[in-house]
Amino acid sequence: MAPPKTQRLERPRGAWADPLFRAACAGAATFVLVALSGIIIFLTVDGWPALQKFGLGFFTSTEWNPVTDIYGAAGPIVGTLISSALALAMALPLAMGIAVFLVEFCPRALSRPVAVAVELLAGVPSIIYGMWGLFVLAPFFAAKIQTPLMMSVPDGSWLSKLIQGVPNGANVFTASLILALMILPYMAAVFRELLLTVPAQVRESAYALGSTPFEAISKVVLPYVRTGSIGVIMLGLGRALGETMAVTFIIGNSHVFPKSLFDSGSTLASTIANEFQEATGMHSAALVACGLVLFMITFSVLAIARGLLSAQRYG
Amino acid sequence: MTETLTPDTYERFMTEPPAEGVILRAQGLDFFYNGYQALHGVDLPIAKNAVTALIGPSGCGKSTLLRVLNRIYALYPGQKAEGQVTLDGEDILDARKDPAALRSRVGMVFQKPTPFPMSIYDNVAFGIRLYESLPKKQLDERVENALRKAALWDEVKGKLKASGQSLSGGQQQRLCVARGIAVEPEILLLDEPASALDPISTAKLEDTIIELKRDYTIVIVTHNLQQAARVADYTGFMFLGRMIEFGPTDEVFMKPKAKRTEDYVGGRFG
Repeated sequence: MAPPKTQRLERPRGAWADPLFRAACAGAATFVLVALSGIIIFLTVDGWPALQKFGLGFFTSTEWNPVTDIYGAAGPIVGTLISSALALAMALPLAMGIAVFLVEFCPRALSRPVAVAVELLAGVPSIIYGMWGLFVLAPFFAAKIQTPLMMSVPDGSWLSKLIQGVPNGANVFTASLILALMILPYMAAVFRELLLTVPAQVRESAYALGSTPFEAISKVVLPYVRTGSIGVIMLGLGRALGETMAVTFIIGNSHVFPKSLFDSGSTLASTIANEFQEATGMHSAALVACGLVLFMITFSVLAIARGLLSAQRYG
Repeated sequence: MTETLTPDTYERFMTEPPAEGVILRAQGLDFFYNGYQALHGVDLPIAKNAVTALIGPSGCGKSTLLRVLNRIYALYPGQKAEGQVTLDGEDILDARKDPAALRSRVGMVFQKPTPFPMSIYDNVAFGIRLYESLPKKQLDERVENALRKAALWDEVKGKLKASGQSLSGGQQQRLCVARGIAVEPEILLLDEPASALDPISTAKLEDTIIELKRDYTIVIVTHNLQQAARVADYTGFMFLGRMIEFGPTDEVFMKPKAKRTEDYVGGRFG
């Protein structure tokens, strides 16, 4: 017996909900853009008085004085760039080593657990790194490294200029060290993902010509992901630039130019975190302007990183 | 396929090439992927300056067998070969022997083209530089010779500095062949080298293979029976991890001794 004929509708029965679904998705996407523009508008409008009053001096002067109401952010800007660059220089070779080990040499049974551990480390809250830096690393560094080093280096030599400073362990170098530690697992995890994108046959081709592992990795595997590697570096840099709490704990918080590696300094983020509570008027505008500068630096670094990573994927 | 072959349920037919011409020989070779046995007591004699083709349905173990011959499988900790493989009388499966040195004697070209991210010239010079330090002029000659033998020279001679990845798929594969022969290996292993190529590039590659036979010994794995018939002097037919029949290509294709070989080359399964 043939089934009874039913009336077929012109459109699927759920068609009425489609416009709502589209609108909801579009709304969710718009929300992010609105929030982002809100932040940019706030930073520009509230920071404008400081930028207008001090002009270029805001970027070149190191005088940051709430008493006389004169603000030049060159100290924090340079401190931000130096601490991030140093952190990157320390973290990059280690991150590459970890990633290469995990992908190329690690016994398979160990590889996954270690990779997961690295990824978990990447999620440790930064305040914990900051506390560890302040309570453990700084005293240790002051007692066991900074003081002996200062004692053993002849006065007035270029080396003594490089390492002069109050031996309390709170300085640009230890801040960079903490930063390096923080971005290390993150960079290693992304780098590992990147190495896994190298086709097996490309690796095998390098070995099939008689390469040792070192030759295969350094001459073929790493060059294969070079564009993406720059992206990884930039992502690490982006994180280091914006990191606040850990650095505020340990950088020493002085607004002048750091005169040496072991001198105290400040970053844009640490300056804002330290002073926002009691800032009013021009002081507050100067801090917001600091935020705008930080936003611009981080934003451009991340934009470049994203561009390079996607070039790697399709290139 | 649910059928299981045991030593009792299959006959094998080996017609050996002349013994004095055999440069590489596998005997009683077993292979395991994390405990799963992929090869069962495989014998394979490879004649010098000849093309030997390995054919058989997907999963029969022909690529696995090829990957044992230069120990490329050893890159993966879960893979293990047992038995004997001798190159010029030396056992190459000996774990104490340096696999890198072996691979410089037994080259390999893969299914997909794998140009390295460097210039065409540097791609070809890559393997040479690993083992020899030559003055520029000699290196240039070696690179040119390899590219000529791989029938690529005329197409790239004006742009040796260009990236290897900028070439077409067929050119990239011939670049990989050139890179493989530039190190002057004794044996060249080709793992379905034409499977990603169009018919014209495939024809060029086959001409190259026949040309290369004068200087090299070639082992090729292929899914394309016509290709095996066109280029190979000897053919081995594999099935479920066993070598079912081995002999001169004409015999294997025209007068197969095993029923399974007959069915396969006759197109009845595979």
